Amino acid sequence: MERVPYWNISHGLLIDLLSLPALAVFGYGIYRHWCRIRQGKASIRLGLTLDALKLGPVYVRSFLTRGIVGTPIYKKLFTGIAHGLLFWGMVLLSVGTMLVFANVLFKLPVFKGEFNRLFMGLTLDAAGLAALAGVLFLLIRRLFPPERLTCFKANSAFILIEAGIIAIIVTGFFIEGARIAQTGVDPGSFVGNWLAAQLAGLGTLPAIHRYLWWTHGLISLALIAYIPYSPLVHLVLAPANAGLDIPLPGPKMGVIDFEAFEGEGDETPSLGVSKLADFSRKNLLDISTCLKCGRCHEVCPAAQTGKRLSPKGVMVTLAEYLQQGKMDDDSLLDTISIDAIYSCTTCAACMEACPVAVNQPNAILRMRQHLLMERSEIPDIMGQAHRSLEARHHPFVGTGFGPNDWRKGLDVPFYEKDTTEYLLWIGCSVAYEERTQNIARAMVAILKNAGVSFGILEENRCTGDPAKQMGNEFLFTEIAGQNIEEFNELGVTRVITLCPHCFNSFTRHYPLLGAKFDVIPHAVLIRNLIEAGTIRLANSGQAICYHDPCYLGRHNSVLSDPRQVVSSVGQLVEMPRSGCESFCCGAGGGNYWTEEEGTRINQTRAKEALDTGAVTIATACPFCMLMLTDGLKKFTEEQMVKDIAELVCSQMEA
Amino acid sequence: MQIVVLAKVVPDYEVPSADFELVENRAHPRYTRMIGLYDENAVEVGVQLKEKLGADLTIVSYGLSDDVQFLRKALAMGADKIVLVEGNSDDPYVIAANLKDAIDRQGSVDLVLAGRQSSDMDRGVVPGLLAGMLDYPFVPQACSVENVDGGWKIAQITETGKRLMKLTGKGVLSITSVPENVPRIPAVKAIFAAKKKPVEKLAEIGARSMSISELSVTIPKMESVCELIPAEDMDDAVRVLLRRLKEERFL
Ligand code: SF4
Ligand code: SF4
Repeated sequence: MERVPYWNISHGLLIDLLSLPALAVFGYGIYRHWCRIRQGKASIRLGLTLDALKLGPVYVRSFLTRGIVGTPIYKKLFTGIAHGLLFWGMVLLSVGTMLVFANVLFKLPVFKGEFNRLFMGLTLDAAGLAALAGVLFLLIRRLFPPERLTCFKANSAFILIEAGIIAIIVTGFFIEGARIAQTGVDPGSFVGNWLAAQLAGLGTLPAIHRYLWWTHGLISLALIAYIPYSPLVHLVLAPANAGLDIPLPGPKMGVIDFEAFEGEGDETPSLGVSKLADFSRKNLLDISTCLKCGRCHEVCPAAQTGKRLSPKGVMVTLAEYLQQGKMDDDSLLDTISIDAIYSCTTCAACMEACPVAVNQPNAILRMRQHLLMERSEIPDIMGQAHRSLEARHHPFVGTGFGPNDWRKGLDVPFYEKDTTEYLLWIGCSVAYEERTQNIARAMVAILKNAGVSFGILEENRCTGDPAKQMGNEFLFTEIAGQNIEEFNELGVTRVITLCPHCFNSFTRHYPLLGAKFDVIPHAVLIRNLIEAGTIRLANSGQAICYHDPCYLGRHNSVLSDPRQVVSSVGQLVEMPRSGCESFCCGAGGGNYWTEEEGTRINQTRAKEALDTGAVTIATACPFCMLMLTDGLKKFTEEQMVKDIAELVCSQMEA
Repeated sequence: MQIVVLAKVVPDYEVPSADFELVENRAHPRYTRMIGLYDENAVEVGVQLKEKLGADLTIVSYGLSDDVQFLRKALAMGADKIVLVEGNSDDPYVIAANLKDAIDRQGSVDLVLAGRQSSDMDRGVVPGLLAGMLDYPFVPQACSVENVDGGWKIAQITETGKRLMKLTGKGVLSITSVPENVPRIPAVKAIFAAKKKPVEKLAEIGARSMSISELSVTIPKMESVCELIPAEDMDDAVRVLLRRLKEERFL
C-alpha cells in the first residue's frame, strides 16, 4: 500500500501551521544577531585584488568549502566524521520532511515506486542512523570532554541540543515502526521494517504512534526556533563567516590612513579597539560565530606554554561582552589583560585550526593598536625595542653591530638604477645579530655563483614590520613610506627578501601604501636557481628537519619551495607539527623582545625539532633561527640551526 | 606656573663601539640623532609635574636648527613649546649662558629640569653652571620631584642611597633615570598635535668661553686578543683561567 502522509493523525497540518511561529521566532533571533553585528564599523578594505569568484560580498569558494562542506572540521578526524554524519544526515532528513510536505500540498508523487524505496525508505533510514551515530559520539564527547571544550567556558547548551536531536531521530524511527507495524512493510525502510517487527502485536500502537508523532513534530519545531538563541546558530553564522572571510591566510590587518589626523586635532577617530563598538562587522560576526570549541586554544603557542593568552579565552570574553550588549564598555582591554594582548605571536595557528573561519589575531592586534597608539602601554622589553625603532628605525636595542657590519670585508654590489635587476633586501633581523649576518653573506655567495644581477642598499634599513606587529601602525606607515620613496627613486622593481616578515610586509601592506614592486622570498629564488640548474649542489644525505616560519608557510603558503631546497642538500625529515600546522618559534608579533612567562616557546619547538633525530635544523627566517638557536641551548651545545641559504652555500659546487 | 626642561639633541648614544667613528673629533654625522637619554627622563618628570600641577612646560635647547624635528618628541610627550637657541658650541659656559638668556625671556620660571648629563659630552656641568648664572640652588642626581606647600620635595639618588630634601623657591635639578621616569611612548594623537605646537628659535648671544681648549679626542679601539687555555683537565683549566684573569687584572 502506498504510504499515506499524516496517517493516523487528525489535523496533521497543524504542525505545518505551527512551523510559521517557529520560523518567526527563528527569524527574530537571526535578526537580533544581525542588529548586534551591524553595530560594528565597516571593514577596512584591503585594497588587494584577489583572483577569487565573488558574489556580492561573498567569496563563493570559501563559502562552499569552509562554510557548507566544513572542510576544517575534518582536521580532527573522528569529530569531523561524527559532525559530517550528523549534519548531512539531518540535511537529508529535512529534505525528506519537505518532500512529505510537498506531497500533502501539491500531490508530489514521492511515495511511488523506486524513489519511494531508494530515497524515502532506504536513504532516509540510513541518514537517520548516520545522524544518530554522529550525535551520540558528540554527546558522549560533551559528557566526557577534552580540556579544549571546557577551558574558559563550556558551550553546555550543546548537550541540550544533542539530546533534542537524539529525541527527534529516535521518535522518528518509532513513528515509522509503529506505522509500518499497522500498515504493512514499507519498501526500503529497513530500520522501520525491523522496528515494526519488534512492535507488532502491541495493542496500544495507534495511540503510541499518535503521541510520538506530535512529540517528534513539536521538538523539531522547538529546535528550529531555538537555533538562533543557541550555539546551533553556527548553522547560519559559520557559512556566512566563511563566505565573508577574505580568502587570504593571516590576520589581514590592512593599513590605517593617517590623512584624517593631519586636519583638526580633536575630531580624529580613536585608533585600534578599546570597546566592542570599535570592531569591524566581520570581527563582531567572528565573535558571534565562535563555538568555544577550543581548537585554537590547543594550537596556540602562547596558551600552550602558560601565557595569559588563549585565543579561545579572548573570544569567550568578547562574546560575553557582546551577549550583554556592552558595546561601549571600555573595561574590555583590561579584562582581557594587557599581558594577553601582547603575548600573541600573530602566528595564525588559531585561524588555521578554527572550524568556523574566525580571525582571532585580527581582534587581538586591533586591541594592541589601541594599547600602544592611544594608551602608550607596552611591556617593558618590547617597549625598549619600540623606542629603538622610533629613534633609530630598527628594533635591535643594544646591538653590537652597525647596519653594514655584516658585509665588512666582503665585496657586495650596490643597487644601481636601470642596471641592477634585483634589490637584495637585508633588513634588521639579519643585520644586527651576529648569528644571522651569515645568512646574508651566504645569500650573496649564492647570487654571485649563479650570476644573478643584484645589489643592496648603501644604508641597510628595517621594513618597519616590527612596529606594525607591536601595534604601532603609525610608525610602520612612516618607515614604510620612507622605504617606498627610496625604492621609487632607485627604480626598484624586484626585491629578494631574507626574512619572511619583510616579505609579508612588502607584499601585504606596502602595496596599500603605494609600493609597486615584485618580491620573491630567498627560499623561492634559491629553489628556482636549483631547478634551472644555475647552481649545482652536492647532497650530503644528512637528515635535515625543516621548521616552517609562520610568515612564510601559514601566512604565505610557501611550503614546498624551501622543502625542495632542503631535499637537494640533504634528506628532509618532518616534525610532528609542520606545514600549515607548524608551531611558532615564539618571536612573532614583537615577542622576540619579551620576558616570557611560563615555558619558553622556542625551547618547546627546539625540542620537537631535536626529537626528529635530524643532524641539522633548517629554517628560512632569521627570527626563527635566533629563537631556535637559543631554544636549543637548553638541550645541546651543538649549533644545529641553519638557514637554507647557509646550507645551500656550503653544498654549492663551483 | 612654568617649568622648563633642558633637552639636547645628540647623535645615537647606543652606537656599538665596533661601529663608532669620529669625524673632526665628533661622532660621524651618519648616526641618527635623538634627544639625550637622561634628557628624556627629565622631560618625563616635567610632563608628570605638568599633569599634576597644570603647569606650562617649555623645552629649552641649544643646538642646530634641524634639531627641532627630534625635539618635537618632547612636545608629543606633553610639553607645550620649544625654544631653541641656534648654535654649535661645545663649551659648557657658552651653552649655559645661552640657555640662561633663553630662560630669562620666558617670563617667570618656577623650576628648571635637565638630564644629569648629556649623552654626547657626558660632562654633566651645564646644569650646575646655569644654576649659578640664574642664581638658583642646584640639586644634581634628582630622581623625583613633588610640589609640597609652595616648595619642592626632591629625592636625590646615588649609587649608595637616597636622600630626601626640600627646596623652597626656584631651582635647577639634574635628573637621573629611575623606573618611574622612563619616557612615555607618545600617543599618535599627541604626535600629530605636537606638529602644531609653537617653536621659537633664538639667535645665539655672544658669551665668554672657558679657557679650555681641546687637544685631541680618541675612542677606545675594539681589539680581540685570543689566548687558548688547554682544557684536557677541567679543574686545571679553571685554575689557569682564573690565574690569567687575575694577572691581566680583569678580576
Ligand atoms: S595568532 Fe598564534 S599566538 Fe596569537 S592567538 Fe593565534 S595561535 Fe595564539
Ligand atoms: S575561535 Fe574558532 S577555534 Fe577558537 S574556540 Fe572559537 S570556534 Fe573554536
